[in-house]
Amino acid sequence: MNDTNRALNRTVLMIVGVILLIGGGAAATAAALPAVGDVWTSSGKAAVDALRAAGDATAIPGTALSWAVIGAAVIAIVIAVVLFASLTTLVSRRSRTVLRSSGSQTPLGRVTITEGFAADAVKNSLAREGDVVAASVTAHTVRDEPVLHVSITARQGADPRRVVDHVDRLMDGLAAVTGADTAAYISIHGGLRSRFASDAARVS
Amino acid sequence: MTTPVLRRVVRRETHSPRSVAFAVVVLVAIILALYVAVELVLALAAQPALLVRPVAALEWLAGLPGNAPVAAGVAGGLVVAAIGLWLVVLAVAPGRLSKHEVDAGGRVAVIDNGVLAAALAQRVSDEIGVARDRVTVGVAHRSVDVTVRPGAGIPVDKTQVTSLADAEIAALKLARPVRTRVRIARPDDEEKAA
Repeated sequence: MNDTNRALNRTVLMIVGVILLIGGGAAATAAALPAVGDVWTSSGKAAVDALRAAGDATAIPGTALSWAVIGAAVIAIVIAVVLFASLTTLVSRRSRTVLRSSGSQTPLGRVTITEGFAADAVKNSLAREGDVVAASVTAHTVRDEPVLHVSITARQGADPRRVVDHVDRLMDGLAAVTGADTAAYISIHGGLRSRFASDAARVS
Repeated sequence: MTTPVLRRVVRRETHSPRSVAFAVVVLVAIILALYVAVELVLALAAQPALLVRPVAALEWLAGLPGNAPVAAGVAGGLVVAAIGLWLVVLAVAPGRLSKHEVDAGGRVAVIDNGVLAAALAQRVSDEIGVARDRVTVGVAHRSVDVTVRPGAGIPVDKTQVTSLADAEIAALKLARPVRTRVRIARPDDEEKAA
């Protein structure tokens, strides 16, 4: 779970895809049909001539420079910078999520429970569970609400229903201890790690 | 109690973010934009171009239908269009990941299809007494395939396997119902060898 802007991802893919689809289709048609090819060539020549004219019209007297070319170069650089900035949306920002804070109204002062506590509690409880190869707990803030993510690598062939129910009970216990029933999301994975882990103990 | 927040989390966890395609497209676009900027600056400074002057490149593009061989033009155009179509499909298709949501009371749980398949195979193997590596289970978004290769001469009741698999799937409490298909495979050569 991260903050990747998925709508942006898909919108960009859509725009670039449509441009390539139309451009490629037009080029193929222009190459195949001479009539369309003539339109392609004449409109292309017109566009190039217009660019040349723009360059000449904005030429800076006494130099070989022209404002149109300078502007085009600046626009290209700006586009590159904006695109680069959009790449940074892929990197998720994570901060320490506070699961519960009592404010300062208790006689003990302020009580704050952070994700580290929940993570340690859940991981220690799962360490003895034979069906679980590895567990990690992280907290995220989704729409201003804390959400705990319990990620579990299950042993090959383990009953995922049992694991889910077990984690569910653990989270009930955690809610009772901390007094905050934080929204929780459980994911169970397989993969290499579970395949290479040793079989569960036959005697327990 | 499945809150909108948890619904959103499940939606995000079971669908592809399309980050890889996005990153590739944006990286290519950045390289293109920087290259165009470099060529424009070189043209401004009246220096020789790295590869081609921008205006010359546009002229080449405009003259393509007449200059390039027809086959090359068509093929090139179609390749570009195919890449575009593929990107459009990526943008529109849901991109479901191979995971199943299961009911977990007030919480939500998502399980990899591979984990579900391994659990089902283990259970079927335990119950009908066929070796684990002779049971193959595939879990897809809407269906579950169970294939048992019991080996020559070992009787396996298909209805028993079906009801076993159905009961096991029901116990998993998947959020989306799946169809179960059971196959008892008896390869000819195995039968003959026995």
